[in-house]
Amino acid sequence: MSNIALNRLQRECKEVVTNSEVSETGIMIEILNENLTEIKGHIRGPPDTPYAGGMFDLDIKIPEAYPFSPPNASLEAVKFTTKIWHPNVSSQTGVICLDILKDQWAASLTLRTVLLSIQALMCSPEPKDPQDAVVAKQYMDKPQVFKDTAAFWTLKFANGTVPVNAEYQNRVDKLKDMGVREEEAISVLSCNNWDLNRATVYIFS
Amino acid sequence: MDDEDMSCTSGEDYGGYGDEDYYNEADVDAADDVAVTPTHSEEADYECLSVNQVERVFIDGVNSLVSRIQINEKYARILLEANQWDADKIVTGYRKDRTEFMRKSHIESKPEPKRTLSATTSMLKGYCSVCAMDGYPTLPHLSCGHCFCEHCWRGHIESRLSEGVAARIECMESECEVYAPSEFVLLLLKSLPALKVKYERFLLRDMVNSHPQLKFCVGNDCEVIIRSTEPKPKRVTCQCCHTSFCVKCGADYHAPTSCETIRQWMTKCADDSETANYISAHTKDCPQCHSCIEKAGGCNHIQCTRCKHHFCWMCFGDWKSHGSEYYECSRYKENPSVAAEANHVKARRALEKYLHYFERFENHSKSLKMEEELRDKIRKKIDDKVNEHNGTWIDWQYLHKSVSLLTKCRYTLQYTYPFAYYLGAGPRKNLFEYQQAQLEKEVEELAWAVERAEVTARGALEAHMHRAEHKRQVLLHDFFF
Repeated sequence: MSNIALNRLQRECKEVVTNSEVSETGIMIEILNENLTEIKGHIRGPPDTPYAGGMFDLDIKIPEAYPFSPPNASLEAVKFTTKIWHPNVSSQTGVICLDILKDQWAASLTLRTVLLSIQALMCSPEPKDPQDAVVAKQYMDKPQVFKDTAAFWTLKFANGTVPVNAEYQNRVDKLKDMGVREEEAISVLSCNNWDLNRATVYIFS
Repeated sequence: MDDEDMSCTSGEDYGGYGDEDYYNEADVDAADDVAVTPTHSEEADYECLSVNQVERVFIDGVNSLVSRIQINEKYARILLEANQWDADKIVTGYRKDRTEFMRKSHIESKPEPKRTLSATTSMLKGYCSVCAMDGYPTLPHLSCGHCFCEHCWRGHIESRLSEGVAARIECMESECEVYAPSEFVLLLLKSLPALKVKYERFLLRDMVNSHPQLKFCVGNDCEVIIRSTEPKPKRVTCQCCHTSFCVKCGADYHAPTSCETIRQWMTKCADDSETANYISAHTKDCPQCHSCIEKAGGCNHIQCTRCKHHFCWMCFGDWKSHGSEYYECSRYKENPSVAAEANHVKARRALEKYLHYFERFENHSKSLKMEEELRDKIRKKIDDKVNEHNGTWIDWQYLHKSVSLLTKCRYTLQYTYPFAYYLGAGPRKNLFEYQQAQLEKEVEELAWAVERAEVTARGALEAHMHRAEHKRQVLLHDFFF
């Protein structure tokens, strides 16, 4: 990695850690290896959203040409490792669809701005430009189901605090009784708008 | 005799087939033997320019714009590149609303809200926000005033060049869309000759591509740039590498077909969408395991080799249900599987239509290749005859000319098929297909006569040539010019 990139990243990490905003916004960076090519990001779920109270982890891989090309230059280089139900994030892989990670990247942007942008995306999803078409369709057609599902995922995978729909837990338990793993049960039920029959048919056919 | 006459029958006028040879000049001299006077030339008006001459064209364009509006030369280039060198459009936009126009043209920055972060960090002396270091003596910036160190600018430019971007390198600040003028970039790359060469090459490419009159020669490793104001898809031939191509789209010359149509046609021929059509027209899926089945025999009782399911090819029903009442499915019933059948029929029709045109297009292409061999054979024959003192080579020129003309007519004929494929039904199509059939007939008669040139009288051969060329001219006149 070039000197420019090393200096930049050291500075960026300091910036995120020392910035007084950290306690307010709830974003954090953790360095995984010495040469700074792999970084872990943490985003606290914004209040008044289904993600409130959850703590979401992200993997960030820094490309060779950073900061002139975005951290996302190679596919899947910035992604959620915590499962999240969101129109612009793949519910399967955690890959994020965000303009500044692609063509709108500018060298003067930082990891801090990237994490803040992702947090802003959690507050206001863009269903017109989806990463996960199933989630986006639910967001548009059944907003209440979407909210409940997103909150359910936050509770299950990100230690969220928003109380969840008890009926959903009921249906997950029914599938679990049939020998389905909890994570798969939640995923398939969510994709089928919590229709237990359709989810069962999907899993067992 | 005027120039148009000559270009019509000259030896180099057969669309890129064959090499030039010493008979060419003789062709031109003897061209009036075939007395067909075309009303239009198939050749575009053009000139071949070197890189230096093209630079001159750019400078002239810049100077004429600078004389009309108050603007720096380096910005004039950006404006011209972004507006396809349309000076009138630029002047109108500029006079209407200068500020808005300069912003939209990526020359001046949009007003932006001050960032709290940059406000605090820019207090540091010589601070570059990209590498996060301070103490730089100079921080180059574009008209927007966003300062970054030279190192970072070079890194940025190198990164953009690796993506193939040259004329439109943006400022590094996020959401700032100001483009870097070439003199700014060249100053930074002064110490990096390899990168500088790369930048200049890419910039030339961007500038030429944005200029409606300029086009790179499509020949391999040819550096010639063609300049032409021709509005029609006519032919140009590079004076340096002798490659012939369409002046508008750069593909092989394709009269009477238009550039869009030939592009569509070539894509259609190249991609495997027709394979999909074939599968759709000739195969059906097993109703039980959905594997693809092609029916090879006449019997409609099909057993899937994979899942062993027995079914009826016509109605997709289980064969057992045919029971005592065999061929119940021959009776017309409104049911979904019959509706699905309609798609098969449609796909088959479309496939048949495409194959009809494609086979003829391909066949003429093959004939052209074989007639190249014929040309060599005739050339040898002429040499032999001259060596045996059987007439002079001028006497036998009409043989050579007849092959050239045959090639030219067949080439046009080949390209009538994509045209016909996309032509909607109607009186125009009827007329076209009538003329196409006429040309087809004359070309084949000419080919027959040329292949038997030794036993055909010169007068008869020339009559064939005349008729074929006449039909070709009529068709081009009605549907191309």
